[in-house]
Amino acid sequence: MASSSSTLRAPALRGPAALRRPKAFRGVGRSILLTLPIALWSLLMFMAAFQRAGRDERIGSAVVIVFMTALFFLMMRTGETYRWRRIFFVALGFLFPFGFIASLIAERGTMSIPISRMVSGDTPFCFMVTPTIILPAAFARTIIFPGSILPTASNPHSIAIMIGIWFAMTLVLGKAWCSYACFFGGIEEGFAAFAKRPKLHRFVARYSHILRLVPWAILVFVVLVSAAIFEPVYCMWLCPFKAVTEFPAVRNVETAIQMGVFVALFVGLVVVLPYLTKKRTQCGFFCPFGAFQSIFNKINLFEIRFDRTKCVDCTLCQTSCPTVALSKESIAEGKTLLNCMKCGACVDACKKDAAVWHLKGTPVAVKPERARLLFLYGAWALATMFGGSILAGSVSTMIHWLPGM
Amino acid sequence: MMVQPQGVRGHSRQLGLFLAARLAGYIVFATAAWLVGSSIQRAWTGRAGIGQAGIGQSWLMGWIEVLLAAALVVYAVGWPHRRCAAAKEAQGLVRIGEGPGPLRSGALALGFLTGINLCPPFLVAGVRAAQLEHLPAALLFFVCFFVGTAVWFLPFLSMGFVQRTPAVVTVARMVAVLLACWYGISGFSILIERTFYG
Repeated sequence: MASSSSTLRAPALRGPAALRRPKAFRGVGRSILLTLPIALWSLLMFMAAFQRAGRDERIGSAVVIVFMTALFFLMMRTGETYRWRRIFFVALGFLFPFGFIASLIAERGTMSIPISRMVSGDTPFCFMVTPTIILPAAFARTIIFPGSILPTASNPHSIAIMIGIWFAMTLVLGKAWCSYACFFGGIEEGFAAFAKRPKLHRFVARYSHILRLVPWAILVFVVLVSAAIFEPVYCMWLCPFKAVTEFPAVRNVETAIQMGVFVALFVGLVVVLPYLTKKRTQCGFFCPFGAFQSIFNKINLFEIRFDRTKCVDCTLCQTSCPTVALSKESIAEGKTLLNCMKCGACVDACKKDAAVWHLKGTPVAVKPERARLLFLYGAWALATMFGGSILAGSVSTMIHWLPGM
Repeated sequence: MMVQPQGVRGHSRQLGLFLAARLAGYIVFATAAWLVGSSIQRAWTGRAGIGQAGIGQSWLMGWIEVLLAAALVVYAVGWPHRRCAAAKEAQGLVRIGEGPGPLRSGALALGFLTGINLCPPFLVAGVRAAQLEHLPAALLFFVCFFVGTAVWFLPFLSMGFVQRTPAVVTVARMVAVLLACWYGISGFSILIERTFYG
């Protein structure tokens, strides 16, 4: 195992991209064959869009079908996961706010929403509040979020349906939701990718054991206080992404402070710190929903493991992990920590092929590519269905707004 | 408190102290509410009324939340001081349930402060108690209210197993600090609002 001083030294790598395998992992024909199910799935997902009249929607859907299929083909061809997933994820992260803001502007002319309209349930449901609404919904048949549990005429996308989709995806993905489905994490992953070298790597390395516990503390805090005052505390006070989506209209000192908190958290955790650390700081060190998702890693079938017979303790995997989900102790045990998002960065970074995808219940490092394929089919299918539809909407909006189109 | 390495018996003692202090807070509040209510009925009806009582309660609420926040901060950051001989003055509050005497004061303080924390349902219950004719009726009402809320604390007795995970203790401290910030800001907001806007 490398010494602590080597961990604290400025890492030589520039992320997993610098360590990518230099050769074609698979032949073109075999890669196409393996991509075929995803291509068909993408067509199936967006078939409805082609039957609709809107030209922009059709173009947007076609772009997404090509985009998602091409990325999956490249995953098959190169054997790399993180690099291609990141392209999708960053695109999702930046295009989601674009499409969302555009729809808000078109609908009401502003990103802000008056508290009265919020209370009446006009705000769209966000999966971030799931941990705070489950217990009250189960025990008291009520929810700490403005909206209806069951579908209504005015809001067909009820909270029950959204929770159902989230739960189904979580069973398949575990915490990989945070790497393949969450439409927020891509923004910080994009800003993290801008920097060539991390500037705060010593701080992160020294305090990672504390930092990775913060989301759990915020989760407990949010659940307790939300239940105590019957208000979605995270949405009202702590969500960094309110700054780029929808926020309470600034009408008094309280809402002004709320807005200031949203902007400060967004700039700090989503823009500045990812750039300085090359980590997903909001996801790894703040997001309570991410901590909640970690629990489902326990029951999820897929995981990353380390073949100790091949591992040389170079800590490249640890350095490359965007959410500090690896420690020296966990690597020594051949496992990741509970907060692993299954992004594949460590597997791509490992020069000795010691980091492998693994299907629980099977021997470690025996046919790891099969485990990767099984995972990716599920993850990419869901990414296409969920993130792909968001991307298609945003692309069609973009086309609609382009001059001369 | 429940993640301190004490076992079920120690946790039961902790929870008992906490709930006893909480019950004391309930009784104090019920008595105060009834006294205020009866005083208003006797002397101020038609002159000051409930409005004056509302201002008083808001002031009290602000101070209670600030005190609660301070207790949480001491509780959260105080644990490391157990290993520090120089920090004896903080030990009385923060070394909860480790032995006899003053070390239990933290559980008592937190229990009492949460017992008189004026959350909305508590205020509603307080108004109901203030409207009752006799003090025993007000006390009985609040004892029943206490039993209803205390039930939710019982599952915490089984949380001793988490002591095996040091990370849980760290998370618990962080949560205490976050809650302290929340109640501190909330309390000061009320005090500032009352100071400047009456």
